[in-house]
Amino acid sequence: MHSRMTPYLLIAPLLAFIAVFTYIPILTSVDLSFREWDFLTAAKPWVGTENYRLVLSSTQFWNSVKVTAIFALVSVPLRLLLAIGIASYLVREALPQRLLRGALFLPSVTSTVAIAVVFSWLFATDYGVINAALAVFGLPKIYWLQDPQLALWVIIFVNTWKQLGYDIVIYIAGLQAIPTDLYDAANVDGGKRFHVFRRVTVPLVMPTTYFLLVISMIEAFQVFTVVDVMTRGGPAGATDMVVNMLYRVGFTLFDIGQGSAIAVLLFILLIALAVFKARVLGRRVHYEA
Amino acid sequence: MKRETLWSCAALVAGLIFLSPVLYTIWMSFLTVDSYYSGDPVLTLANYRAAFGQYDFLRYLLNSLLVSGVVTLGGLALAVMAAFAFARFDFPGGNFLFAAVVATLMIPGHITLIPNYLTLANLGLLDTYAGLILPAISNGFAAFFLRQYIRGIPRALDEAAYMDGARPLQVLWRVIVPIARPAILSMGLYIFITEWNNYIWPLVAINDSDLYTLQIGLAKLYRENPGEDVINWPLVMAASTITILPILLGFLAVERHLVRGITMGAVK
Repeated sequence: MHSRMTPYLLIAPLLAFIAVFTYIPILTSVDLSFREWDFLTAAKPWVGTENYRLVLSSTQFWNSVKVTAIFALVSVPLRLLLAIGIASYLVREALPQRLLRGALFLPSVTSTVAIAVVFSWLFATDYGVINAALAVFGLPKIYWLQDPQLALWVIIFVNTWKQLGYDIVIYIAGLQAIPTDLYDAANVDGGKRFHVFRRVTVPLVMPTTYFLLVISMIEAFQVFTVVDVMTRGGPAGATDMVVNMLYRVGFTLFDIGQGSAIAVLLFILLIALAVFKARVLGRRVHYEA
Repeated sequence: MKRETLWSCAALVAGLIFLSPVLYTIWMSFLTVDSYYSGDPVLTLANYRAAFGQYDFLRYLLNSLLVSGVVTLGGLALAVMAAFAFARFDFPGGNFLFAAVVATLMIPGHITLIPNYLTLANLGLLDTYAGLILPAISNGFAAFFLRQYIRGIPRALDEAAYMDGARPLQVLWRVIVPIARPAILSMGLYIFITEWNNYIWPLVAINDSDLYTLQIGLAKLYRENPGEDVINWPLVMAASTITILPILLGFLAVERHLVRGITMGAVK
């Protein structure tokens, strides 16, 4: 019928690409993180843990870790909370729900660069819509993207606006999988709406929450585009994420050793996060419906 | 019925408010600069003429279409073949190799940024279309998703085809692919959108402005307008609209296609 080699031949192209562009690069990153190199010279001398020492003792790196952690720990729970609440209203397959779902979903498939440009205009100090609206009420203009206290919150707002629809759509799929008789039972017992939401809906969509939590955290810790377009990490490092620093060190300062060290540290952090979540949350995920 | 209509209107209004930044972007892209700053709207197509002509966005648009198109077709081809193998064949190492594919979903992409740049530099592929395309071709998620889908297709269909003397690739092409079409289409859509919106890789791999994708072209256009009061916002908004619109239109077209594929399968 077919030879024993068939499955290997079928997976070979995919595996070849994965090996060349994913797995070997991980090893290369680890190797380069122990060397000093600027892309130009032929020699890449081994410097041991020097790059890690430099990165881990730089205030810039710890600032970017702090900023990224605030971004992830605020924006991910915020998105999931909003999404599960909104999804429980939009779960029905009727016209109003579907219209609103479509509108909310749209931003998540559009270009992050374009969205970042548009919101840069909304939040612009002069001629920006938001400050113009404030002026109507006689309020002073706010330096949204120039104020170190505010810029990160603007970035979180834009990210939430863009990604919310994706979370909602995933939650709706999760909610639609819940058998309706469970709701009927809860309602017969005289459950209040919020009570039913808390005691029935939230526990039963736990697997969905877990899935979204894992992928949103991984994505949040790698945020780059919104920041690169809107603030470039400024003002004064207030929005400087780990990947923005990685890009700057690697591709504008051409410090391959330190850039690779940052990449490896980010990698370890995300793997640790995934393992932690599997250990701590994994136990609480499974509910038999 | 009346209540339903009322709710539909309310939902529509809420949706429009939510999307107002995008809608206003499109409106602004048709204003002359002077009228934008004076607040007395005068409509024009000049921003689009400037974006497509002088600012080269026609070229960026074609570059984006080419790169995203090839990545989608190549990515689907690799994923479908691998998914078929993982779903239908029992072979030594199969589980391990499948785990290696799925694990790529958890691997943060940015650890590969510097090494992939070096790989392409060594191959002389920086500043080429191949340099944009090759690192994006493998898609572990598509392989995983399609494998799950193919497992749901009755094996009897494959076996009937094998009885008729078909070979594995023929079974894949004639039996599996037609049945899995809705899943393949939605994965294709997902890959295309992801690649269309890709920013950091073209930013790293491309210097030559002839090879800019829309994302890079838009970011540069926005950035190279220094100082707030001289920004030609209507032009920037025309460029933003050009960047957003193909995905929206394509999404609507393919969504219809998807629904048709699913309903056709249900009727048969």
